[in-house]
Amino acid sequence: MIDNRNVSTATLSTASKATRIIGWSALAVSGLALLFGLVISGPEVNMRDSVRLLYIHVPSVLMAYVCFGITLVGSVMYLRKQSAFWDLAAASAAEVGVVFLGLVLATGALWGKPTWGTYWEWDPRLTSTAVMFIMYVGYLAIRRMDFSPEVRSRRAAVVGIISILNVIIVHYSVQWWRGLHQGQTFGLDPQIRDMQYFAWFLGTVALALVGSWLLIHRFRVAWLERQVEESQLVRALAERRREAGE
Amino acid sequence: MYWGFVAAGYLLVIGVLSGYAAWIIARGRALSRDVPEEKRRFLD
Amino acid sequence: MTELDLTPLPPESERTGIRSWRNWLIGGALIAVALVLIYQALTTARVYFLNVDEAVDRRVELADDTFNLQGTVTTEPSTAADGTITFTMSFGGSDAEVLHVGNAPSGLFKLGEQVVAEGRWQGDEFVSDRLLVKHSEEYVEDNPNRVDYELDGSEADIGAPPVTPVPGY
Repeated sequence: MIDNRNVSTATLSTASKATRIIGWSALAVSGLALLFGLVISGPEVNMRDSVRLLYIHVPSVLMAYVCFGITLVGSVMYLRKQSAFWDLAAASAAEVGVVFLGLVLATGALWGKPTWGTYWEWDPRLTSTAVMFIMYVGYLAIRRMDFSPEVRSRRAAVVGIISILNVIIVHYSVQWWRGLHQGQTFGLDPQIRDMQYFAWFLGTVALALVGSWLLIHRFRVAWLERQVEESQLVRALAERRREAGE
Repeated sequence: MYWGFVAAGYLLVIGVLSGYAAWIIARGRALSRDVPEEKRRFLD
Repeated sequence: MTELDLTPLPPESERTGIRSWRNWLIGGALIAVALVLIYQALTTARVYFLNVDEAVDRRVELADDTFNLQGTVTTEPSTAADGTITFTMSFGGSDAEVLHVGNAPSGLFKLGEQVVAEGRWQGDEFVSDRLLVKHSEEYVEDNPNRVDYELDGSEADIGAPPVTPVPGY
């Protein structure tokens, strides 16, 4: 058992020069995003100040999509190469993605109440988003189940690949089906502009930096978890050998 | 009326992301204590 | 590896039993939630609303079924002393007279807005008990200096937006 209790916290940190730069940049841009999102940009003619929730709601869903994309790539690569890197990258991205998607559901509900008149509605966009959330929670649950590490990673990879269908369904749900949720505002032909567009852009950059920081650190923590798990396994094997020898 | 929802949304996002980041840092440090220094980073 | 397989493992077996039970519980709960969501996706979400013209055409077939009706508010909503609201909803060249007897709609509910009303036909009237405002994907900043609200090169597409703040806000 390694005993690092007397080692300084700086030595034990999962940070690096790159993550420190990303972290401080994230804080600086987040400050600007708050300034433009809450103070400088004006209200919308109809939904008034509740439009400000969209400057964090939409970037959050974009980050969730990016994370689930990484989970897909990691899952495919794991099944091809059986590499710990891709397995842990997929798992870390799924967890960060679930956090962002949870924020999407919460901020969407907070926007929906003053705008639509309800926190929740079983419309295609909201329902498919809830299904996506549950599928990725399921992915994380599989990773915590008591299978052997290889079986666990393989099953999680299969779910990680299948679940990407949700991203496509959620994204196109407003085009494929009728619903309460509005269509695409922030696409190639944005239906928002000037200071409101800039506020949304800053929110996107801020959450992209925050998300990158979380992803890198979560991957490093996942790597440490794996090292601890393996060392425990080695210790358990040694104990068994000793018992068998007795 | 709208500002209450806006404040709740922003506080929720800031709170959840800060809390999650703090948990990651703390967990990383706790796990690092049990891992030899040469194995603390992915280097393969 | 062979010698390890011969080792007795009673504590490990007990632990696996508990974990296995926990695996089934978590898995079962997630599957149950997923089934509820998929049921909603295949029922309510699949055909979330009928437009006014479709609902008018299918009035006999719909009988007293409850469904969501979508259209634009085309007459100034009138609120009675008992809190009921009457207005006309239009879509695709058809109109529906709506009597709303339920929840207070959001502050965005007004003439010209797209709405979704949940209710049923009662004679020639659509009686709703739930009224939601369907916001468009076009957002316009409330800027008193703005002279051009055109977002997509076609001013007619978005109609004539208000140039002054909406009263009451």
